[in-house]
Amino acid sequence: MEEIAAPSLPRRVRVQLGLQRVLCVLLSPLTLGATALGLRGFLRLRFVGLGPLRTAYRGDRAEGGPLLVCANHLTMIDSFLIAYALGAPSWYLFHPRAVPWNVPDRTVFAERRWQRLLLYAFKCLPIERGGTRSSVAGTLARFTHLLRSGGVGMVFPEGGRSRSGCVELDSAAWGVGRVVRGGGCRVLCVYLRGDAQKGYSAMPARGDTIRARMSLFEPKTDLRGVRASREISRQILTRLAEMEAEHFAAA
Amino acid sequence: MNQEEIFEKVVKILTPYVKNQDALDSVGTSTHILDELKVNSARLVDVVLEFEDAFDIEIADEDVDKVETVGNAVELIASKLG
Repeated sequence: MEEIAAPSLPRRVRVQLGLQRVLCVLLSPLTLGATALGLRGFLRLRFVGLGPLRTAYRGDRAEGGPLLVCANHLTMIDSFLIAYALGAPSWYLFHPRAVPWNVPDRTVFAERRWQRLLLYAFKCLPIERGGTRSSVAGTLARFTHLLRSGGVGMVFPEGGRSRSGCVELDSAAWGVGRVVRGGGCRVLCVYLRGDAQKGYSAMPARGDTIRARMSLFEPKTDLRGVRASREISRQILTRLAEMEAEHFAAA
Repeated sequence: MNQEEIFEKVVKILTPYVKNQDALDSVGTSTHILDELKVNSARLVDVVLEFEDAFDIEIADEDVDKVETVGNAVELIASKLG
């Protein structure tokens, strides 16, 4: 696969990202505690079979190099669910770099100042979906820089919650392939779904049982340019669709 | 191929993706593809791939970042055609 040149960031931006990284580590007892409390205490979610998943994630992290988690998307808190599925809060406390960075939609999640502060603390880089190309490219460049610096990223290749409730192959977001190529990333596909999750929703049903599966995936293409990025995004979504079929076959 | 011919071809390619027909009727080089023509940002890549096929050129990911207006697209394609 042809990699594209890593975007170069001004020193000021690199310092800002470094500062956010440090502050996120310092705040992690609070953010991780709040996540666990929200998912297990308030929503009373029950996660099934996390042991092998978390062990595999530790192994994938240990191999080193940029890692991009690509997941299906059905609720507005999927990034929390997936992060929790991949690592216990107590483990993340000692491995804060394993907590994935996210790129939530600025217009949905970061309209108010308090929301932006929360996103900052939760390792997010809000992206302006449908915004100017320079704005989107700037966010992707920062995200790629963080991955190249040893971080883990998390994206939803469908670009938004699936309206059909199933992985939508036609929704392949080209930017995901671009991040994979720009960051030289390995791709960790994660399929996660609650038993009561029939379609898309804001939140999972209270008390739902959450099942997750993951698969390390290496996209391959001989294409170049934009075509290569889109092909990679499609391959990732195809893998997620296969995992969805496995999920329902096992149910 | 001159800039005018490229412009006409670009507009023809964009037309199926345009949601604001009024803006299309008065389209010019300064017309913003996403904001004014209301082309879905997720479909922009499809438009770019159609540019590649129609003009037999290759467009890099970072080139797409320069395309905000119809004029930007025309300039990019003209530069690729040499």
